[in-house]
Amino acid sequence: MKRATQSTETPQIGRSVPRLESWLKVTGRAEYVHNLRLPGMLYGRIFRSTVAHGRIKRVDVAAAQAVPGVYRVITSKEVREIVPEPYYGPAFHDQPILAIDKVRHVGEPVAVVLASDPHVAEEAVHLVTAEYEELPAVYDEVEAMSSKAIVHDALKPAGTFPDLKHLKGRTNTNVALDFHLRRGNPETAFKGAHRVFEHRFRTQQVMHTPLEPLVSVAESTESSLTIHTASQSPSFVRIEVARLLGWPENRIRVRVPFLGGGFGAKLYIKLEALVSVLSLLTKRPVKISLTMEEQFFTITKHASTFRIKSGVSQDGRIVARECEVWWNGGAYADIGPRVTQKSGFTAPGPYDIEHVAIDSYALYTNLPPAGALRGFGIPQLVWAYEGHTDMMARELGIDPIEFRRKNLLRDGRPQATGTVMRDAAIEKVLERLEVLMDWKSRHDKGTGTIKKGRGIAIGFKACVSPTTSLAAVNVNADGSCIVYCSTADMGQGSDTAMAQIAGEVLHLAAESVTVVHSDTDVTPYDMATLGSRSLFHMGNAVKLAAEDALKKLNQLRSELQLPADCPVPDIFKKKYGMQAGNVIGTGSYIPTYKSPDANGLTDNATPFWMVGGSGVELEVDTETGRVRVTRLVNVADVGTPINPRIVETQLSGAAIMQLGFTLHEKMEFDAQGQLRNASLAEYKIPGLLDLPEIITNEAVVAEQRTGPFGGKGVGETGTFGVSPAIANAIHDAVGVRLTELPLKPEDVWEKLR
Amino acid sequence: MRREIHFRLNGEAVSAQVAPHESLVEVLQESFGLYGARESCGQGLCGCCTVLVNGRAVSGCLYLATLAEGFEIQTIENGKELDAVQQAFIETGGLQCGFCTPGFVLMTRQLLDEHPDPDDDTIRHYLSGNLCRCAAYPEIIEAVKLAARTRRKA
Amino acid sequence: MAPFELAEPASLAEAVSLLDLEGARPLSGGTALMLMMKAGVLRPARLVSLRRLGLDRIEANGSLQIGAMTSLRSLERSETVRKGWPVIARALRTLSNVRVRNVATVGGALAHADPHMDLPPLLAALGARVTVEGSNGRRTLPVEDLYAGYLENTLRKELITRVEIPAMGKRRAAYLKCTTRSADNWPAVGVAVVLGDEDRIFVSAATDRPTRLADEAAIADLKIEGDLHGSADYKKHLLRVYLRRAIDEARNAVH
Repeated sequence: MKRATQSTETPQIGRSVPRLESWLKVTGRAEYVHNLRLPGMLYGRIFRSTVAHGRIKRVDVAAAQAVPGVYRVITSKEVREIVPEPYYGPAFHDQPILAIDKVRHVGEPVAVVLASDPHVAEEAVHLVTAEYEELPAVYDEVEAMSSKAIVHDALKPAGTFPDLKHLKGRTNTNVALDFHLRRGNPETAFKGAHRVFEHRFRTQQVMHTPLEPLVSVAESTESSLTIHTASQSPSFVRIEVARLLGWPENRIRVRVPFLGGGFGAKLYIKLEALVSVLSLLTKRPVKISLTMEEQFFTITKHASTFRIKSGVSQDGRIVARECEVWWNGGAYADIGPRVTQKSGFTAPGPYDIEHVAIDSYALYTNLPPAGALRGFGIPQLVWAYEGHTDMMARELGIDPIEFRRKNLLRDGRPQATGTVMRDAAIEKVLERLEVLMDWKSRHDKGTGTIKKGRGIAIGFKACVSPTTSLAAVNVNADGSCIVYCSTADMGQGSDTAMAQIAGEVLHLAAESVTVVHSDTDVTPYDMATLGSRSLFHMGNAVKLAAEDALKKLNQLRSELQLPADCPVPDIFKKKYGMQAGNVIGTGSYIPTYKSPDANGLTDNATPFWMVGGSGVELEVDTETGRVRVTRLVNVADVGTPINPRIVETQLSGAAIMQLGFTLHEKMEFDAQGQLRNASLAEYKIPGLLDLPEIITNEAVVAEQRTGPFGGKGVGETGTFGVSPAIANAIHDAVGVRLTELPLKPEDVWEKLR
Repeated sequence: MRREIHFRLNGEAVSAQVAPHESLVEVLQESFGLYGARESCGQGLCGCCTVLVNGRAVSGCLYLATLAEGFEIQTIENGKELDAVQQAFIETGGLQCGFCTPGFVLMTRQLLDEHPDPDDDTIRHYLSGNLCRCAAYPEIIEAVKLAARTRRKA
Repeated sequence: MAPFELAEPASLAEAVSLLDLEGARPLSGGTALMLMMKAGVLRPARLVSLRRLGLDRIEANGSLQIGAMTSLRSLERSETVRKGWPVIARALRTLSNVRVRNVATVGGALAHADPHMDLPPLLAALGARVTVEGSNGRRTLPVEDLYAGYLENTLRKELITRVEIPAMGKRRAAYLKCTTRSADNWPAVGVAVVLGDEDRIFVSAATDRPTRLADEAAIADLKIEGDLHGSADYKKHLLRVYLRRAIDEARNAVH
């Protein structure tokens, strides 16, 4: 393998360096836990609940246990020998490692068959039987607010989050968390408004379907545990497994190579606690590798209902907004409460509105759990508020972009929480969208049965806060550099970005920097790779660590009375008598933050904002209702692009994924909570034939002054505006307004009839 | 009932013990340590398991290994140097997480063998059976066209 | 997948007698079969591979004769087919994907009896006949008579050995399908139209088997169920639209 010359004066920031691991990926040699095999390893296949809600009366494993080649069949009874209280979760400790007493959704893990031959385990799973006393179930998020079907007998908030403490022990409710924000006096403002508009929007449950399905492997001794896992949050895995076992953290090692996709699915605890317990029970390495189908029963995206009401003044200014959002969290909370709260406070959208009321509810239902999925609740909110914005604009006879311009939230103005906007190029994004869409020109709406339309939408997201990232940068005696950080590269190019940042500080070519993958024995704490936080937080930590290493090298030069430009090898030769040794710099970054008060208000809600807009041109076949997107434009504020090429691909990749959620994807359940389409044959994700002919991606000129070299995150930004832009364009084309995702041809046709 | 099969793998004569129900992907991984072909969707729709059998691309997760007896099998690991297709994918950034990449590379080589100068429509149709959840599709199309140009020059 | 025995007979007679055994199923390309076995829907004790039977030739002498084990890809790329029956080559372009077409066979595609598939309605509309062989000897029948219902064929432990398609002559043909979600998907409706001395129209996907239509009015009487692809009402509407479009396309076709 060729390496670029190490030291360089060429700036590394702003270089479109090809992903450092490209050779490994094009030759099929990249390491994924999916490929991991260990000597003596047992494969686990999960036996799952077939009812949506029920008390477990019996689980019969004898027949499965008797199959030749089956090592053991494990239920929660055995799990509790190792972990007496086996409940986990990032916000609530509500999810059992294997079902105890009750099952709360179809597909919930009840038992595991272990065998050294995965085919044997698979066959034996069919022989496990269970009997349930079925309980009434609830599936709809609004219904869950008042339903008599209660999913959890009592709420179990994790002690680590102070703002959830008040929920402990609450019973007889499906509301896991409710977030409220009040600013000004919305009631009065509505009364005085010239016009009041109210609409209701809905989104559906979908799944990330990373092509490497969730997978974890655990191997153990009596006093140590190594978990190889496809995880975006190795530090959390270690902390949580340590808590469950009652072990010190340094006895647990979590290793993460490359992820074959993540998108938020591979977060917190998924299979890690289960394989750990299984390994401790059997004293053998244990691997559980989900099939594509099983992923649908493991973690999904929140379906939602959003009632949005706005009061508009005579001159087209939004004076008041009321947002009521119900989030369908499924059977276990996972990170749903965070979505409800941290995305909840942006529900009014990127608009300057004086009087705001937000009520955001996280609901338990008897569906597979919902958690983090690229956008983290923002796409659901933008779907509603940008459809609402266009509907108001049309009603008022104002051009949609002009209406937005009148009401846009600009730098220096307070957002709904009261936090003053800084480095959020919302206006620039809107302006660029207008230009790229050639919005001011009249466009051809089509004659005949094919009608054409265009639409735009703009959204924003507050980066989750407060979160911590730590990094270490090691300079070897030959001057080469190693970066240690627990950020997981799932294809977003984080390895490359960190190498560019360290390289910039140390005047090294990014290609010459080695980035060590997450290994909690080696790489320091990171909150997690999620919510587009890594470039900003870990980037800052890596920058600080590299600067610290540089400072130490300069100190050594000074101590050893060497010139300021003395090459690194000579420093070590002088210090140690040979070219050997290291200088290790460390960096730790946590932004400032202020918790919201009782009204949900704070002047420091987030360290940075993401801003993304999309413009769409499309055709509607009025005979069939089929929609064809011909052009997709994505504009974003990503601060200073660290790697412009990767930024472009992140915008486009996110937008295409959101296209799938807009037009094709939906988890379809029957009345008994059974999933009818848990496979890629029946759950259709975008392929090459679904791509719009023209896709344009642009980052506006902007700077995140608190970000490393002006940069900030971009992984989710492309998801924000796609769905409402398409709905707005359909309305433009044929006057049909759809308020529920996905946008099916049949629904368009129905409304055209 | 396991039986021994003999075939050629990436140019080398090899043998393996296989049970009738084992797929080509499983045998390549278990017996030969080759992980470039991976089972993902399990239904032949995503292309992550692409393997060449007698020069034609098949879904390895649906191909019974025992049927490979006497055949010529090629995987992504074949070849010492990066070819024009692999270089193009690197240059245009036609990869993100990389899980689908080997499948795309193998299919692109087949595409260019049949259509040395493919237009957009031909590319989209030929590669319609390869999925990329990271949606690096635009960059992949660019990579195919770049590889086509490079191959034509050579 | 449940373990099974695999037989690879070298003669048609041997294959037919193996199929008579308990729990035996024929294996052609294997794509559809493997899916069903992996899903646990089918658990045959014995698979009888047909690949050594030499049934993979394409010949044209007036009519087109296709060996049942001909891969869909060979059919798609055959110059004979492209020149003489271009509607078939066109339809194959969007039939699943290249990898599947490399392995799946014409016989398998016809025998599987999944009404969403492209070849059955098209070949039925073209007036194709299949030759089948069993322990009771050989017979020929029109393609449309192969189907009893959803995934149910009328074969009695018989094998399709050959498909024969009459020359196009002055006939003009088109096959259209409509997917209601992503492009690479099972269709909601499929329509095959062959215009000639006698017009032959077959619809599929929405019906449980390829079904001949006399005219557009007959769509109202079709037994159609709603599913993930669309409601019954919508599918009937799509059939009307795509029938009209297929007739237009056939009228403008060279063949």
